[in-house]
Amino acid sequence: MVVVGAAQQFTDNVITALAVSAALALAAGIIFGGIFSRSIVRRLNSLSSVAKEISHGDLSKEIPFLSKDEIRDLEEVFASMVADLRGIISEIQQVSSQIEKTGRDLGIQIDKVLVNSRGIDESALAIAKGSEAQSLIVQKTSLILDKSLEQMDEAAAQSAQTASKANEARLKTEAGEANARETLHYLEEVLKQTVENAKPIYRLSGKVEKIKMVMSVIEELSQKTDLLSLNASIEATRAGEMGKGFALVANEIRNMAENSRNSSHEIRAIVDDIFKDNKAVAAALRKSEEDISKGREIIHGIVGTFGEMLSGVKEISNEVKEVGNVARKQVKEISGLLNQFQELSRLAQENFVSTQKTTIGTKNQKEEIQEIVRAANALNVLSQKMMKTQQRFRLRGT
Amino acid sequence: MDCFIFEAAGKYLGIKAQYVYRIVDDVNPARVPLLPSCHAGIIYDRGDLFDVIDVGRLLENDSAPPPDKTTYVILLKWNQRRLGLIPERIVGIKWIQDTADKKSRTVFTSEGRTIQMISPEEIWKMLLDLPYGH
Repeated sequence: MVVVGAAQQFTDNVITALAVSAALALAAGIIFGGIFSRSIVRRLNSLSSVAKEISHGDLSKEIPFLSKDEIRDLEEVFASMVADLRGIISEIQQVSSQIEKTGRDLGIQIDKVLVNSRGIDESALAIAKGSEAQSLIVQKTSLILDKSLEQMDEAAAQSAQTASKANEARLKTEAGEANARETLHYLEEVLKQTVENAKPIYRLSGKVEKIKMVMSVIEELSQKTDLLSLNASIEATRAGEMGKGFALVANEIRNMAENSRNSSHEIRAIVDDIFKDNKAVAAALRKSEEDISKGREIIHGIVGTFGEMLSGVKEISNEVKEVGNVARKQVKEISGLLNQFQELSRLAQENFVSTQKTTIGTKNQKEEIQEIVRAANALNVLSQKMMKTQQRFRLRGT
Repeated sequence: MDCFIFEAAGKYLGIKAQYVYRIVDDVNPARVPLLPSCHAGIIYDRGDLFDVIDVGRLLENDSAPPPDKTTYVILLKWNQRRLGLIPERIVGIKWIQDTADKKSRTVFTSEGRTIQMISPEEIWKMLLDLPYGH
């Protein structure tokens, strides 16, 4: 447009110059007459008609050089001007066509950029959503890991406590085994003592049997005495008055025999009781011996069991220690993992923020591209206008 | 009078001491078939044969057989007759005032015992009254 304006201005200037020249020529013609008036007018008319056509944009016309006078200079200048105009217009046409082409290319590129920008926008949104989800998952995983860490800590502490208790159990089992061995030793002593103590009881049993035999003899004697005294009484009665004294003696002997028999019965009852008690004591002693023997076997078994328990408790203690070590190792590893997850969480957060920023950036970029599109469209409109304007100029060969 | 007192069939029985020949123990009466169950058998003592009677069974009319071994046997002799009595327990010879009721033939001792007096003849008669083989 500027070029066109300049051209028009130039044209106006030329026209003005031509008018001035015409006026001067006219004045010269008036002044000098009509020697050159006819040829000048003709040539000026020619120039005027050319100028008119140029003013209408037809730059294809050639300026005819009809003579070698002063107007020739004007014609040459005019022709030179037209040639320059032609060159300028041609250059303008080339530039405008290049501008149009560039505008079209720009539009295509902008379209591509827009498409890519939309893709970037969508990708950024997807990345943002993914980052958000990733951040949430990482946070949840961190929480789970944190809980796991606490639990593993507790497990490690529990393992330590269990190890301590297993150690206590081992010590107590060792003490129990020692006590059982001591009890066994005492039990052996008690058994020996019981056997020794039982001997008089067994001897007493034999003596009681002998006492019973003696008592039987005494009872028999008392019975015989009783019988003898009875028969003596009968004989004394048969003797009448003479046997009265003998009867009394016989009666006393009978009473004595009766007392003796009663006493022997009592003694027998006592001896029977002693025999019964002795039998019960002997049975109890035998039972005690058996029980002690059984107890000894049981304690032997207990000692063996304590030994097995001890080895079992030792194994448990070692295993618990191993579990504690593994738990502590796991705690350490989970702690490291948790730190990594926290770092991951931080990175995910940063990613999320970056993607948010990217989304905002792509949004702004889209708006700017739209501005560029609008500017390119305006440029296209202007280039079309310029093309339309320059189409008014007709160059040679076009 | 002197009275030989013994216990049988849950009561105290008394016999005049003059009829008692002697007391023996540890005897094994020889069983005689087809005689009453109170007849424990016969024993031979110092040249005499004695029929041994379980007084308790005789008085209670018990049909169960008498024991094989007896502790004491009271040997009685009177009017050329011989009889052995198996008591439950022998109390002994006591002098008792002969104030027995003639009808009930019971006397009382100074210890407060009620004694039923019985004669060997009465026992003999009771034996004879028994049915054969009872």
